[in-house]
Amino acid sequence: MNGSGNRAATLVLLVALIVIWEIAGQLQLVAGGTLPAPSAILARIFVDRADYWPHVLATLRTSAAGFVIGNAIAILAAICFCVWPFSERLMRGVNIAIFAVPPIALVPVLVIALDGEVARITLAALLVYFPTMTATLSGLNDIDPRTADLISAYGGGRFRALRMVRLRAAVPAMMSGFQVAAPAAVLGAILAEFGSGARWGLGTYLLGSLGRAEPDRLWGIGVTATAIAGVGYGLAALVARMTTGVNRAVTMAPEPPQAGDAEHRMRSIAMTIAAIAFPFLVWQALLVISQLSPIIAKTPLGVVDYLFFSNASAVAQQKLLAALAETIPITIGGMFLGLAIAFVLALIAFAAPTIMNALLPFALITQTMPLVALTPLAVLIFGRGVAVTLVITVSVTFFAAFVVLAQGFALIPRAAFDLVDAYGANTVKKLWLVAIPASRNWLFVAARLAMPKALLGVMIAEWLATGRGLGNLLNQSRGYLDYGMIWTVALVSVLVAVALYQLTYAVDRMTRPR
Amino acid sequence: MQGLPLVFENVAKAFRIKGQALPVIERLSLDCPSGSFTALLGPSGCGKSTLLRLALGLEDAEAGAVTVGDEQPRAARRTGRVGVAFQDAALLPWRTVESNILVPFEVLGSPPPSAERMRELIKLVGLTGFEKARPGELSGGMRQRVAIARSLATEPRLLLMDEPFGALDLILRRQMNLELQRIWSQSRPTTLLITHGVDEAVYLADRVVVLSQRPARIVADVTIPFERPRPADLHRAPEFHELCDEIGSYLDHSADGADS
Repeated sequence: MNGSGNRAATLVLLVALIVIWEIAGQLQLVAGGTLPAPSAILARIFVDRADYWPHVLATLRTSAAGFVIGNAIAILAAICFCVWPFSERLMRGVNIAIFAVPPIALVPVLVIALDGEVARITLAALLVYFPTMTATLSGLNDIDPRTADLISAYGGGRFRALRMVRLRAAVPAMMSGFQVAAPAAVLGAILAEFGSGARWGLGTYLLGSLGRAEPDRLWGIGVTATAIAGVGYGLAALVARMTTGVNRAVTMAPEPPQAGDAEHRMRSIAMTIAAIAFPFLVWQALLVISQLSPIIAKTPLGVVDYLFFSNASAVAQQKLLAALAETIPITIGGMFLGLAIAFVLALIAFAAPTIMNALLPFALITQTMPLVALTPLAVLIFGRGVAVTLVITVSVTFFAAFVVLAQGFALIPRAAFDLVDAYGANTVKKLWLVAIPASRNWLFVAARLAMPKALLGVMIAEWLATGRGLGNLLNQSRGYLDYGMIWTVALVSVLVAVALYQLTYAVDRMTRPR
Repeated sequence: MQGLPLVFENVAKAFRIKGQALPVIERLSLDCPSGSFTALLGPSGCGKSTLLRLALGLEDAEAGAVTVGDEQPRAARRTGRVGVAFQDAALLPWRTVESNILVPFEVLGSPPPSAERMRELIKLVGLTGFEKARPGELSGGMRQRVAIARSLATEPRLLLMDEPFGALDLILRRQMNLELQRIWSQSRPTTLLITHGVDEAVYLADRVVVLSQRPARIVADVTIPFERPRPADLHRAPEFHELCDEIGSYLDHSADGADS
């Protein structure tokens, strides 16, 4: 493989895509002209340029603050988890919840509990936290164990080892965490703008323009949001390259870190119970500290009371179950469809390396795109039916899964193929005997990574477009000021996300060849 | 200054794998008097390195006692009188050669060696000119020599070495053996050397201890009679070979007759 050849192929593909897009736009080939030509989009951005500044600045400010705060907390947390593995065990429930939760479900709750701008920054910080925390923690733990022994051998304690060995060793991993975190901060800011009634911000601008039949403006905003996320990624990559001299392709960790220590069974059960209880304790404690009225801010028990013992409980249960019955099947279906498409495409790309080499840079770029934030664009093309939900869910799943699978296929050792080659296997045989069995683990990694994104995609589409399911229930309760339901949906979303996540994990463990 | 005596007294240690205890060392006693040079030989995985880790306080014995001077290992290592070289160099990749040698001083909080002493140390291990190089720019053998310089830098009274020359080729290894003997003769720290090389053990040590397969017991304790300083051509002397053969046979025996 040679780098310049790859770059040329990628460039050709890029130019071809833009030309096709331009032609399709000019001739109004897609859905009656709802896909404008790139030139029209750029022209519209130029026309609207005066409108952009306050929106762009607001989004930038929110994401920058979220980026800084989220990273600071993530690094501190990673250090604590490294120095006291007990704390990681205790926080595991919180970490999985933060990883799996569809962020949009938290927006109304955050808006209730916090001031508008603070709520938006909090969401951006929440999305930043997980990638940086996992990357940093793996960097802190992934050291030459002998160097830590050396520090101990001269009487140094764990803080000495942290200061002299681990912190410095973690810098490259931390930097790659920042690269994932930068676009995540932008996504968080935009999602929060969707749901918080902010006056300024690209999310607000996007929603405000959705009602008007102006595809080129909507696309202009989408392109701008994507560009900001891309610039964030690029800046983080640049800083990483300058400070560590390495720039590796970065993908997000598919799961929270787990200490592999063999625990005593009783202790392990106790820790698991503590890890499950801990998020609820945090929730309760935050509300006690914030001193909000129990009418608008529901504690865990408050939600139980609302859902099971209040006057409204029968109606609430009915609404909730109906919403879940709509949301869960399409989430799982969309995820499977996205995974299947990604798998087939990754296989094709693998069988034809030229395609793979041209495609992979694109796939990597899409990882930095705030895809779900572009839902209004999909609404424009696919309308407000179930189709739009499926399109969004499949595409967020697909892009997340494709990169994992393509990179997974690329990691299969050459020797494995040389062996079957030596017995005269053709391409199909090779795929069947080596590539597909070898990809099993990557498929599960992709599923774990894609699952939360799929749920987010469904809920966003429901919230903004289709008026069905859990996303819609959340939006409605926000409108009706049904505080009990707002908290209930947030809690149920987290529970569903964690349950689905644990389910993929369980299926993985059960079907793992021994 | 006198070497620190190192004493293992009825030491036992087991590892737990999936809840099952796997005894590595069972009731082993070994006495390394002040200023002695002991080499430990034994089959792979027999617990040699565990003994060294016990002496460093990196592991705790489950029974018996390990004493360095008149202190526990964890207290002794804080005095800066214990030096260590591991099997792999364990250098910090972002630090230069010089700066890596300073790591023990920083951990101990003791004043760094003078510039002259640093030059001397680096010359000793043949790395003059590489003071500012980083580990990534050095060969495996050079990295190992940095680790040896680092272990000697604090002028230890107890020197613990876990196959420090394992990564070196034969010529370099003999050269380093010669150097180690020279440095050792100057200051005579108590030394425990773990090695796979019978000839290295015989050439360097006053006493070679052969361990059995896991759980480790002492199967032979051989005193090496050669006068110091030992010349390089001792390697070719017939009595050297006889001794090596004898020890080699104990080693063969320990490897196949573990529980007999």
